[in-house]
Amino acid sequence: MQRKLGYYFQTSLIFVLAATATVALFFLIYFMIKESYPAFITVGKEIFTSTNWYPTSYEAEYGMLAMIVGTFLLTLFSSLIVLPLGYFIALYLHTYASSWEKNIIKSGVELLSGVPSVIIGAFILMYISPILIYFDIWSTENFLLASTGLIFLSLPYAVSLMTEAMDAVDRSLEESSLALGATKFITTFKITTRASISGLFNGAVLTVNRIIGETMVVLLVGGGAAMIPRSLFDPVRPLTAVIASEMGEVELGSMHYHSLFAAGAILLGISIVLTCISRKLTRRWSI
Amino acid sequence: MKQIFILVLIVFSILSFSKTLVIKGSNTVFPIAQLWIEKFKKMYPDVEVTLEGAGSSTGIAALFNGTADIANSSRWLKEKELKKMSEKGKYFIPIVVGYDGIAIIVNQELNINEISLEILSKIYTGKIRYWNQVNPNLPKKRITVYSRNTASGTYETFEKKVLNNLKMAPWVRLVESTQFEIESVAKNPYAIAYVGVGYVTEKVKVLKIGGVLPTKSNILTGKYPISRPLFMFIDATKGYPESGVIKNYITFALSKEGQELVEKAGYVAAYGF
Repeated sequence: MQRKLGYYFQTSLIFVLAATATVALFFLIYFMIKESYPAFITVGKEIFTSTNWYPTSYEAEYGMLAMIVGTFLLTLFSSLIVLPLGYFIALYLHTYASSWEKNIIKSGVELLSGVPSVIIGAFILMYISPILIYFDIWSTENFLLASTGLIFLSLPYAVSLMTEAMDAVDRSLEESSLALGATKFITTFKITTRASISGLFNGAVLTVNRIIGETMVVLLVGGGAAMIPRSLFDPVRPLTAVIASEMGEVELGSMHYHSLFAAGAILLGISIVLTCISRKLTRRWSI
Repeated sequence: MKQIFILVLIVFSILSFSKTLVIKGSNTVFPIAQLWIEKFKKMYPDVEVTLEGAGSSTGIAALFNGTADIANSSRWLKEKELKKMSEKGKYFIPIVVGYDGIAIIVNQELNINEISLEILSKIYTGKIRYWNQVNPNLPKKRITVYSRNTASGTYETFEKKVLNNLKMAPWVRLVESTQFEIESVAKNPYAIAYVGVGYVTEKVKVLKIGGVLPTKSNILTGKYPISRPLFMFIDATKGYPESGVIKNYITFALSKEGQELVEKAGYVAAYGF
């Protein structure tokens, strides 16, 4: 009797906690939509087609194209470096590294992933950005620096997630491949990767989401000019930076306020789309 | 037991008798208000003061909501706000607490001492992009243009007085703090920025506008073209507060001591000359 009661108590506790979390999540999304709705209705497609962001001018304009493009380019550029690099580091850690080597590198990586982004941003701002003046670059905070900061921040994340995914693969699978005469590299590259593809994809998507959502670094070293970057040395102002920079000073309930929420909704949308794509790919490719 | 009871009673009486004063608004007025509050708390130890510097518009919006007692503002009310005031049947009164000039700063190494409003406007709207277009003696380098971000009162004043409501070029770099502008101009020889005179340091060079430097008397007399009064707004819908915390605070701010603190914060006192 008592055991049964305990069981009911535990399951209902878990249920209540899970339900609270789900409801909270839905409320969050509802809140985002509710607050951004007026901007989408009033401003309309100008948000996506115009690069003029003058939310407090006499004739206010709310074009976010430059920031959306900035977010995309920054994410794309950083991901293209982080994901392959992270994969190969994970491959090395999984296959070639001896156990003590693995230990050292892993704890190093974990330590690195704990560094607050504001520290990395400030470091780049104070020590790397002044160097750029000698190279005749007109904007000392720019796309390249922002991307460097993002790579620093997300690489440890990618490495530890991908290593975990690879380590979870059954040993016997790899051993049989090696027994058939495949080299270590081929085994990891073809067999382990294939077997852990869903974990790898998840890791990749989480990393990309992290890059998109990262705020502090892009705010500090991105340059803060809402122009579409044409070179690596142009300043960039992604959506997150806009929200962080202006949310504190915005007049509550104004169109400016709603359009900042619209920026948040766009970010949320991008992240949901990415997650869906990863799920689909995972299902198709997994064994 | 009795002691605990008395202790609770004391705590309660302190809590219920302490008065609160909530001040919100302009980042420009913030350093002044900070100095005032330090002194004010010493004079009235039972008053709880909270100060939040977020931007003039935020302060005035808070005054409408009733979430602030005093709104600091570095600009006059906007048309929109005046309209809202009459719609809601509210009446805000302005109190001038000091004056501020917006200084145009460049790097110490840049060989330029004076600029005109017209050229300044062209730089910020993007018609001029290289320093040699300003003056052929200057190097052919791209100008790095800095501005405060859009919610700042300094930005709004600059937009109105210099740009005549034209829009800034997209490559103008909007930054979060005045301090950052100064640091950037100090390290980048081809940068230009505008900041409240209170923030100017030795690290940067202040430009004359039409031959006029933003000195105290030039700002007060209005000779310097980009200057402005700084306000506190209070809600006087039910009449001017004749006694109480708000009244005490305002009286202190306008007193000789209060006005000296305005100067200490780097601005120009409005009274007591």
